[in-house]
Amino acid sequence: MTRTLISEEIIAPGTGKAIELLKGQVLRIEQVEGGQCVDFNAFNLHDYKEFMHCGRTRTVHGFNPSAGTFLWSAPPRENAMMYFLADTVGRNDVLFPRCSAFLYESAYGFHDHTNCHDIQAEAQREYGLTPDDVHDSFNFFMFTEVEVGGTVKIDRQSSKPGDHVELLALMDVLAVPNVCGADVMRTSNFSLKPIRVSVFQASAEDLAQVPALPRLASQRTPAQFRNPTIKATRELTRDPAYRPEFTNAPIREETLEVALSGEEAAMLDRLARRELYGDDDGAALRDVLFSWWETRFLTAANGAPSMETDAAG
Amino acid sequence: MPEIAPRTVTLRLNQQQLELLDRTLPRAGVTDRAELVRLALREAAEQEAAR
Ligand SMILES: [Zn+2]
Repeated sequence: MTRTLISEEIIAPGTGKAIELLKGQVLRIEQVEGGQCVDFNAFNLHDYKEFMHCGRTRTVHGFNPSAGTFLWSAPPRENAMMYFLADTVGRNDVLFPRCSAFLYESAYGFHDHTNCHDIQAEAQREYGLTPDDVHDSFNFFMFTEVEVGGTVKIDRQSSKPGDHVELLALMDVLAVPNVCGADVMRTSNFSLKPIRVSVFQASAEDLAQVPALPRLASQRTPAQFRNPTIKATRELTRDPAYRPEFTNAPIREETLEVALSGEEAAMLDRLARRELYGDDDGAALRDVLFSWWETRFLTAANGAPSMETDAAG
Repeated sequence: MPEIAPRTVTLRLNQQQLELLDRTLPRAGVTDRAELVRLALREAAEQEAAR
């Protein structure tokens, strides 16, 4: 099975396009002139309440996700929605939210200006979504860096014509790429350029690249929600019948007595983080215990579902 | 160096933390919670010394 082209279009500056991408199809987002940031969102095509979540994605894959990573949906779904198949540049951003009209008004004095929030909203309006349904975007080709001290800076990008990213849909999604509206920032080297978007039926080689993922009990569906009904009114009013059912609440502590030999007591004195726990030996030993557990048993770094271990249950 | 006296330490652990300890017992090859805590302490001290 070779890759076959299903559709191709040019997305003009100032615009975006909602694209139905079915499971097993590949979306290629390609530079035409080079140097253009592309903001991107994705929704489960059959349940728009499940959407790609940059927070989840950057927790699992870091600040600059590239080929070989997944685009995850928000809790409590936390499904791998898309697999990042190819990336000829290797520079993307998941730190910045989509740019918005507020930014261009407050910082630059524009009354009207192209901005990714409004472009996303206008593109997804084709599917009945509202401006409140736009989520933080995955920003392809955007060059950002975290500096010592925690500030984040945007820099110019070096993508060239033909540079592209490719995303394989692991579920049916509504994919929404847009040409970032930032022409007065360095994000897209101070100009707005068109982008080519192509949809392919994935080849067997494409599909074979996707690492196996476990299916976990915590990857929930609305059928498991205590309230599965999407709220249809804007006003928030209290449900008089509400009774809280928080998981594992109330949290109850018990005491565990641990007898230490003189040698072990000396070990604790060496390891104890007194700057945090003072002379509270119990708290210091609890820290030693769970820190040890992490180094010995933790395989799912930063909460990423481990690709090595099997799903529990 | 003066000998350090043996002492008993009291940990406060909630039901979730205890569940994890109990699931860890067979993986760590020990049979009770206090023994697991002492194993963690000894291995953590070894790692610290190896550093
Ligand atoms: Zn933008």
